[in-house]
Amino acid sequence: MTETAIEAAALSMRFGRRRRPALDGCAFRLPAGSVCAVVGPNGAGKSTLLSLAAGLLRPTEGTVTVLGQAPATARERLAYVAQDKPLHPQLTVADTLRLGHELNPRRWDAAVAERIVAEGDLDPAAKVRTLSGGQRTRVALALALGKRPELLLLDEPMADLDPLARHQLMAALMADAAEHGTTVVMSSHVVAELDGACDHLLLLGAGRVRLAGPLDELLAAHTLVTGRADASLAAHTVVESRTTGRQITALVRPEGPLGDDWQTTAPSLEELVLAHLRAPEAPALRLDDAREAAV
Amino acid sequence: MTAVTLETSTAAAPSRGPRGLLWAMLRLHCSALWFWALLMAVGVGTLLWAYGPGADAAWAEYRKVGCGGTAADLGCDFTVPAYSRYDTAVGIGAGILGLVPFLAAAWAGGALIGRELESGTAQLAWTQSVSPARWLAAKLAVPAALLTAGSLVLTLLHRMLWSSDGVLRMAMTSREWHHGITFQANGTLATAYALLGLAVGVLVGLLQRRTLPGLAIATAAQMALMAVTVALRPHLWPVETLTDKDEYPPFIGMVVGDGALTSTGARIEDPICVDNAKCLAEHDIVGFYRDYHPSSHFWPLQLVETGIVLAVAGLAVLAAFRLLNRRTGAAV
Repeated sequence: MTETAIEAAALSMRFGRRRRPALDGCAFRLPAGSVCAVVGPNGAGKSTLLSLAAGLLRPTEGTVTVLGQAPATARERLAYVAQDKPLHPQLTVADTLRLGHELNPRRWDAAVAERIVAEGDLDPAAKVRTLSGGQRTRVALALALGKRPELLLLDEPMADLDPLARHQLMAALMADAAEHGTTVVMSSHVVAELDGACDHLLLLGAGRVRLAGPLDELLAAHTLVTGRADASLAAHTVVESRTTGRQITALVRPEGPLGDDWQTTAPSLEELVLAHLRAPEAPALRLDDAREAAV
Repeated sequence: MTAVTLETSTAAAPSRGPRGLLWAMLRLHCSALWFWALLMAVGVGTLLWAYGPGADAAWAEYRKVGCGGTAADLGCDFTVPAYSRYDTAVGIGAGILGLVPFLAAAWAGGALIGRELESGTAQLAWTQSVSPARWLAAKLAVPAALLTAGSLVLTLLHRMLWSSDGVLRMAMTSREWHHGITFQANGTLATAYALLGLAVGVLVGLLQRRTLPGLAIATAAQMALMAVTVALRPHLWPVETLTDKDEYPPFIGMVVGDGALTSTGARIEDPICVDNAKCLAEHDIVGFYRDYHPSSHFWPLQLVETGIVLAVAGLAVLAAFRLLNRRTGAAV
């Protein structure tokens, strides 16, 4: 078994007694070195999960370990960029990076952080409050990468960026991650943003794990089938099916040979995710070899 | 290239001056630091002016109108303009000391803690290599040190004035040792209340997690706490009692209570008979008493109250750490 970046067991988080839990008995395991997309509809618990992994919240029930430690003790080894990219508005860009240096004295790599800022043509003397949303994202990412994290937690990292900056920053992020073996976990509800960048998928819905595991295995476990509306798919797990006229299109998890009645194609990441989002009652599938006892 | 200029501007700087969380505290709250420095400059300047030229002018004018011989000179209990200027200056110095606890509470509840939790910059700090507990410790320690230093300097200056202007003060009967602001400015209480303000502000900021509610509730909480301790003040040390047969004893020091005495020695509320002998006999009144604190009770009263205030501040700090720990799971 490879080293584990994040492992959650029966992880639940509840904000207030009367509200629905934000996370409800989540269990998954993410190997170190992977790039994992956390997807799900709004309110699925993506941000809560990342906050728990970052040691910013204490779970109501269950446990989460990052890099083999409790999140609070692994603080030095992980970086986290929150959804709204909080930065001190009164600091300059240079002072923000200096803050990263002062608060991470043993890990700070000024060259990495400064390169990311410089690539965005940001004036180091500019106050953070004068920056656009995309520029703030860049500074926030520079702060996170300058720490040289072993685990990088990004909550909706690219939401404020224009397509060019998104592409460029994503490439920089992936190159950096590949070079240092950093585990990257990023949440998004824009699936297209993640395609090609991720090798692991964690799909959350209503606070529960819907899909978890290596992306290629998850894709291989599903087949997109098209056939006559009266043909039977009873032997297989149907995630979602749509009938148009006399034809049915379905995303299934085949339990055996599908037979000649069906035209089969491999689903794309987007098709896999959308089918699961459209069918919230579809059974969960976990291929991440987490300890079942913990569920 | 931009990267090069950036490197020279940041890489060289960290080698000198404060480091780590201390640097972060001073840099992030630099405007508050300037405000504090300005406030202290005004306080120190005003009190020093009062001690030197202000007092000299008051004395000169006082002597010019033919007073200044004996303190109990009854013809001299009027206020000369120079003295009222002097009195205003001392009032400003003491007033700053009286205001600081509320400023500290409002700032701590709003800018120091509430704003950081509201904007998420607190979480930004906690995901650097800094635990929430260390972050909170820095948030408390740096302002506490500055508040203590500033308050102590103003208190010492105020005491210096107090010990030099006794005759002038007595002639003008403007201020007494037990008057609220004077009492606090002359001892350890001003500093203790400033620290209480900081602790209350930090706790409220953590509870509210927002800037404006943090600011408002912290100020209100500080006012409520101070109302309680000030109301308790006369009861923090055993009082002295004066009794008299025919009339009320003299009104001196911090008066706590007075009334009439019956033949059994019981204390009753004065039925206001004045000189009516029949009325006095009817109520069995044989004398009058007055409970008070003489000025020799200044330090016992001051120190007991300081102890209580610091204990409450300590509890607030403890609660703040426990709350933060419970919320973030730092101890797991």
